[in-house]
Amino acid sequence: METLTTLIQFADFSFSYSGSSDLILKNINLSIEEGEFVLLVGPSGCGKSTLLRCINGLIPHLYNGMYQGKVVVDNKVVSETDISELATKVGFVFQNPENQIFMFSVEKDIVFGLENMGVEREEMRKRLDWALRILDIEDLRYKAPYELSDGQKQRVAIAGTLVMRPKILILDEPTSLLDPKTARDFILTLKELNKELNITVIAVEHRIDLLTNVADRIIVMDNGEILCDGSLRDIIQRRNLHLYGVAVPPIIGLQNTLSEYGIGLSRLCLNVKEFAELLRREEYKL
Amino acid sequence: MIEIKSLYFKYSNAKDYILKDVSLKIGLGEVVAIMGSNGSGKTTLIKHFNGLLKPSEGSVKVFGKDTRNDSVASLSKRIGLVFQNPGHQIFSDTVWNELAFALKNFGLEDDVINRRVKWALEFFNLVQYKDTSPLLLSGGEKKRLCLASVLAWNPDYVVLDEPTVGQDFLQKEKLREVIKMLVTQNKSVVIVSHDVEFVWLLQPRLILLSNGQVIRDGKCVDVFSDKEARQQCGIIMPQLLELYEELYPRIPHPPVDVLDARATLLRSLARGA
Amino acid sequence: MLFSLSLLGNTIFQFIIILSTILFIGLISKVLRRMSKTIMFSLSFLAMIFIINILVGYDILFSIIVSLRFISVVSSSSIFFLTSSPDELELVMKSLRLPYDLIFAFVTAVRFVPVIMLDALQILDSQRSRGLEIEKGNLVRRVKNYLPVLVPLIVQSIIRSEELAEAMESRAYGFSKKKTSYYSLHLRNRDYLMLVLCLTFVISFILSIYFLHI
Repeated sequence: METLTTLIQFADFSFSYSGSSDLILKNINLSIEEGEFVLLVGPSGCGKSTLLRCINGLIPHLYNGMYQGKVVVDNKVVSETDISELATKVGFVFQNPENQIFMFSVEKDIVFGLENMGVEREEMRKRLDWALRILDIEDLRYKAPYELSDGQKQRVAIAGTLVMRPKILILDEPTSLLDPKTARDFILTLKELNKELNITVIAVEHRIDLLTNVADRIIVMDNGEILCDGSLRDIIQRRNLHLYGVAVPPIIGLQNTLSEYGIGLSRLCLNVKEFAELLRREEYKL
Repeated sequence: MIEIKSLYFKYSNAKDYILKDVSLKIGLGEVVAIMGSNGSGKTTLIKHFNGLLKPSEGSVKVFGKDTRNDSVASLSKRIGLVFQNPGHQIFSDTVWNELAFALKNFGLEDDVINRRVKWALEFFNLVQYKDTSPLLLSGGEKKRLCLASVLAWNPDYVVLDEPTVGQDFLQKEKLREVIKMLVTQNKSVVIVSHDVEFVWLLQPRLILLSNGQVIRDGKCVDVFSDKEARQQCGIIMPQLLELYEELYPRIPHPPVDVLDARATLLRSLARGA
Repeated sequence: MLFSLSLLGNTIFQFIIILSTILFIGLISKVLRRMSKTIMFSLSFLAMIFIINILVGYDILFSIIVSLRFISVVSSSSIFFLTSSPDELELVMKSLRLPYDLIFAFVTAVRFVPVIMLDALQILDSQRSRGLEIEKGNLVRRVKNYLPVLVPLIVQSIIRSEELAEAMESRAYGFSKKKTSYYSLHLRNRDYLMLVLCLTFVISFILSIYFLHI
């Protein structure tokens, strides 16, 4: 059996932004293995975005503050490593599709990171072709940003990070400004990347209905602390998740409330068809 | 009453029409949701309600008056639009002034302004921020502030463009309560949204737009059940409606929310065996 | 396609502005239509410059010269920007070994101008929906009315630059001093010819001023 490598580790970590005495993150202890697909949720202001930024080094290198404890990513201590070096291990996709595309054409934007790293032209071309193919955006190669839809822009953003061959991909509410169908396709692409390239994915999302079939693990935060951390199936069955701003999909909320009434199916169903099927089969047992 | 007849719209230097032959009427006390894929013309349509855009062909009448003969400022007094991005409107030095801005523009008297701003502050839980800069509020609070500033002038129609984007569950709950309250005051609420589950809970009249045309307009149960329409607009069915379709005729009606679904299921399980 | 070194000498000499302007226009006839839009726009400024110069007391000849200088600056810059794409400009700057921070700032600025314009329109829509009427009122009132549009615009731009900074850092900006470039500029025969032509033009221009006192 393969042993999993711990890629990300937070040890007794706390942080507050400079100028503020309130701790945004309080005593975080967390470890994430290679290949996981982690969903990070919690009410607005709970520290999720801050946590993400501690992984790729934006904190503490771009944002100062009181930094306590240790964060280690791929065996490098974040506070002692340059962001630009961490960028080769951790790709970050932001919420706003517009503000992460710098160049006038898709092609040039995707190789931006490689140009910064001083990669050879031939290698750049190879990686560019690969990224365009994997994200199914080959037809967008020469287009300008204003010609792209938001969903396409988000794909270009991922491509721009993928070419740097990161082991970890972090996404901060990436589908927030996308319509449901585009969001759905986007999440499926993420899952493919996770499975086929073994890239560890950590996503902050409010719309967890899109991710119930996709994420293995969920971490719930509130007020700077980790409330619960475990398998998605286990934790989503806890009714009180909606108190933390998490929108539990109706079909799961229904199963949870039924189980309180003693009506429990043999397993938690994550979509309606599955639920209806199981209900029909097991009904006589209830 | 908003009355739209055969509305065609395109920008003057464009060749394609964004809206084609749109006809609809929205009375008072209605909750209407407008859905459709990106680029279907939703935002363009609502901009016609308060005259920001004027029809290329056809007519838009608000309370009997053609919008072509009226100014945006005058129409906005009765039709309040809340846009998606709070960053596109917040500019005052204090929350109080931000709320009073529109009221001053509409020429209301000082005591009326004071009263309405006070109401808005209390109702939206912003009293403690009365003298703070609105730019210091959190994202959710800013969205509340924008909604508050529109409700402050008490328009008959409240039009919300993607109000649930980036909001967490609790914030959406509060929004639903506000919408319910407005309807009891015989105001109309029109929301443009992608959020299928949020819309389902409101049980509104649902208008689907595709490629600038209205393809469905009716009770949300009927419209959501229309598979072709859904596919055309790229929207998915609300989960509880899907459940109803799967288990029909075991459950008699589509449940509105989780509690309703539970009650219905328990009854049907008790009955059948 | 690489009209890179469009070093159309922006050297404006006092009396012979007329000649150079006419020459430029003759050369680049392809962009005349688009150029004319800019020229139309600047005509009002032109008139203003001319009138102010007269009012302040300079003689007519001088005022004419000043106005002509203005027009040639405007039209030659217009030609420059109309014929070079931002991509090419970026490559030119890179090959001139300008500091990369500067190049990047320039590219980003050009890239986001249309975005900022769109923002301004959306802000205007929002504020008009709150009763703002920018056409009304006297001069003072109208200036005040721009505040609800300017403040959000500036705030949004600042937020945008913060987000851009985060994105840049996350893509290894500043990783190494040695940067590679995916595209590169190639100087072709056409470009050498152009260079020679420009040089000849400039030199003969300067020489004729000295020796012919035109």
